[in-house]
Amino acid sequence: MSLSGLISGSECAVPFNPLSQVLKHTEGDRSLQQDRIAGPSSSRLQHLPGTAPTQASERDVAMARQFFEGQQGSAGPSTAFAPHMHPAELARLQEMNARTDLSEAWSREQPHQAAFYDNSRQVNWAAEFGGPQQQPGAATSAQPNVQGISGAQRPSYMGSGGLYNSSMSMGMYGAGMGPSFYQSYNGVPQTLSDQGKGKGREADFEAAFAQVAASMHPVQAESSSRIVEIDDSVTSVDEALKSVHLNDDAAAPQTNSEFSTVWNHLQESDTPPPKEDLAKWESEFNQLMTSQRDDLENDYSDAMQDAWGNSIVGESAESTKFDDNGMPILSEYVFEPSNKYLDPSTSTRSPLAEAKALLERNGSLSEAALLLEAAIQKGELGEGGYEAWILLGETRNMDEREDLGMRALVEGVRRAEAAGADGAGMLSLAISYTNESYDRASYNMLLRWLQAHFPTYPVPEETQQAVLSNSTWDSHTRITDAYLGLARQQYSQGIVDADVQIALGILFYNSGEYDRAKDCFESALSQRPQDYLLWNRLGSSLSNGSKPEEALGAYREALHLRPTYTRAIYNVGVACLNIGAHKEAAEHFLSALGMQEATGNGQTSDQLWFTLRRAFISMDRNDLAEMAKPENNTKLDLFRQNGFDF
Amino acid sequence: MSDLKVEGFKASDIIVRLSTAFNGFTDAERKAQLKKTNGIFELRISDPKKKEAIWTIDMKKEGNVYKGPAKPKADVTLLMSDDTFSQLAEGKLDGQKAFMTGKLKTKGNVMLATKLGGVLETAKGKAKL
Repeated sequence: MSLSGLISGSECAVPFNPLSQVLKHTEGDRSLQQDRIAGPSSSRLQHLPGTAPTQASERDVAMARQFFEGQQGSAGPSTAFAPHMHPAELARLQEMNARTDLSEAWSREQPHQAAFYDNSRQVNWAAEFGGPQQQPGAATSAQPNVQGISGAQRPSYMGSGGLYNSSMSMGMYGAGMGPSFYQSYNGVPQTLSDQGKGKGREADFEAAFAQVAASMHPVQAESSSRIVEIDDSVTSVDEALKSVHLNDDAAAPQTNSEFSTVWNHLQESDTPPPKEDLAKWESEFNQLMTSQRDDLENDYSDAMQDAWGNSIVGESAESTKFDDNGMPILSEYVFEPSNKYLDPSTSTRSPLAEAKALLERNGSLSEAALLLEAAIQKGELGEGGYEAWILLGETRNMDEREDLGMRALVEGVRRAEAAGADGAGMLSLAISYTNESYDRASYNMLLRWLQAHFPTYPVPEETQQAVLSNSTWDSHTRITDAYLGLARQQYSQGIVDADVQIALGILFYNSGEYDRAKDCFESALSQRPQDYLLWNRLGSSLSNGSKPEEALGAYREALHLRPTYTRAIYNVGVACLNIGAHKEAAEHFLSALGMQEATGNGQTSDQLWFTLRRAFISMDRNDLAEMAKPENNTKLDLFRQNGFDF
Repeated sequence: MSDLKVEGFKASDIIVRLSTAFNGFTDAERKAQLKKTNGIFELRISDPKKKEAIWTIDMKKEGNVYKGPAKPKADVTLLMSDDTFSQLAEGKLDGQKAFMTGKLKTKGNVMLATKLGGVLETAKGKAKL
């Protein structure tokens, strides 16, 4: 128990430190005390003037019955405080009620119990108690604390099933001091520690206790050992007894004092349980507890799992699952079903060489992708067995076919790593992950590229661990630091490495720092001014950084270098959309679609159609939006007829 | 769509854009989006003069946006200023940071609130690298 740390200091010697008393509470077996407190103190109360009316009203008796019947039922779900419940006590209750169906009783009584604890009278008591309790002490600031504790703890005990609460309060309620005792029980250490000097008060309690103990003597005489045990927690009992006085004097509600009558009546009619039955009851009780506990744990874990599955995993995409490293688990690349280049008669040359030639002369990206697929299917994988895959992935991505591109790149990177290549395709894959908002996968890939490409550059072990396990913002910071360190090192040697700048650009882009991403891509462009991919990336950074007008300039450069760059055309459309030029946006999307469709295989990007529909709706052309569906990919002329020029 | 607007709120434009995006969904996409998000967000946006405007993003049943409190009740209610909402929608502020710094307050299912970013993202066309 962590509390022991609080009392170990030399200046906090045990006799002077009220906290030591708390520790005793938490560790001692108080089942006997509870019996004592419940029994004799309530019976004693009856002798106090003005608290015990001669006749119990019918309503009060009914309430009492509800209350006591509830005891039995409430024993069920509670698990945490089981040790405090004396088996004999439970047994007595069982006997009294002669009820076997616990769950029925529980479900029936639950509302009643809730009603009890919601009762506003309790709050009054708490207030009453809080008031007088402070009078002997000096620290008025303690009062809110005391009330705060009782307020906070009551619901939590309720939540755990209420056994602790009920086992305490059956005596307490009867005495009309339930909540007050409860409060004092919790409140005492707080109050004392606030005042810092418990000794003086303790002496007061000692006196008060002796007084009260004397009045209880006839009852307690039956067992002297019990008195010793009460001494063990003298502050709490004293305080409890004190509060009895206070409450009685301060007009304890009549209805509740009725319980004492009923309680005593019930208790007197009870015969002490025979020893052999005790074991039986105890085992029954334990059995009940265990079964309930299993139920509770099952429910909890299911609910957690449910919540977890719904909110965390389901966040990124409907059906995407992630492995432990945050990598999305994707299905395998699906080849086009009817690839004309697979027919051996169409081509005598190697499809891989043909695809490269086609890409070289700015041919159709879809055509090039088909050639590459044919090459792979024919087993012509190019350099190291991965070249064709990576090229296919990059071509697909340029053609705004992210889902296919990503799968091809995953395959390519896997093969490249197996072949020991220095990170081929990894940057492209990291970009692909970034576009799909798979942040962790992107960081992971960037780290792997760094390690593969610069094996001599030291990456702290901590960073590697963080990327695998920590949250995205932490791994982002760490990996950015690693890359910045590398970039500075290179800069001091007079080198600007375009790839490192691209990686940094991706990192900044990921965290929404579009200005810095722009700077990185610009410095990469200073090394490779003819790289249309970089121009597009510069444009995207500007566009997402709320500068769509400037982005258009960068896109124009990209498209000047590579007129069939579908992704750049799409991005131009997005920029137009964000500027508010909806008609132009629609035209760009349509021309991008036209380019994808050009190969005649009828595969277009759903994302493009979706964005096109948005453009139409923004133009208030719902009729056109209706037509903008992937199944209309061969009827793009329909839009031309509606005045769109693309 | 003009019925979504509230004078003097920057959030109005974002809400309208969001509505446009939702209207642009095909049935299949809408279903996918609903299944992915599965929650009703009630947005309580306050301007500097403490005037409050309420919108509801229903990403559970209908997949639409409307003005006023959620009917049936919201799974999560988000309270924030007009500026905070604009920044969230533009991606300049991330929801968790806003929550930590107290700019965004929530009632109800907090886990669901983390999905708002994804929903708002659809309002804005995003360029690709």
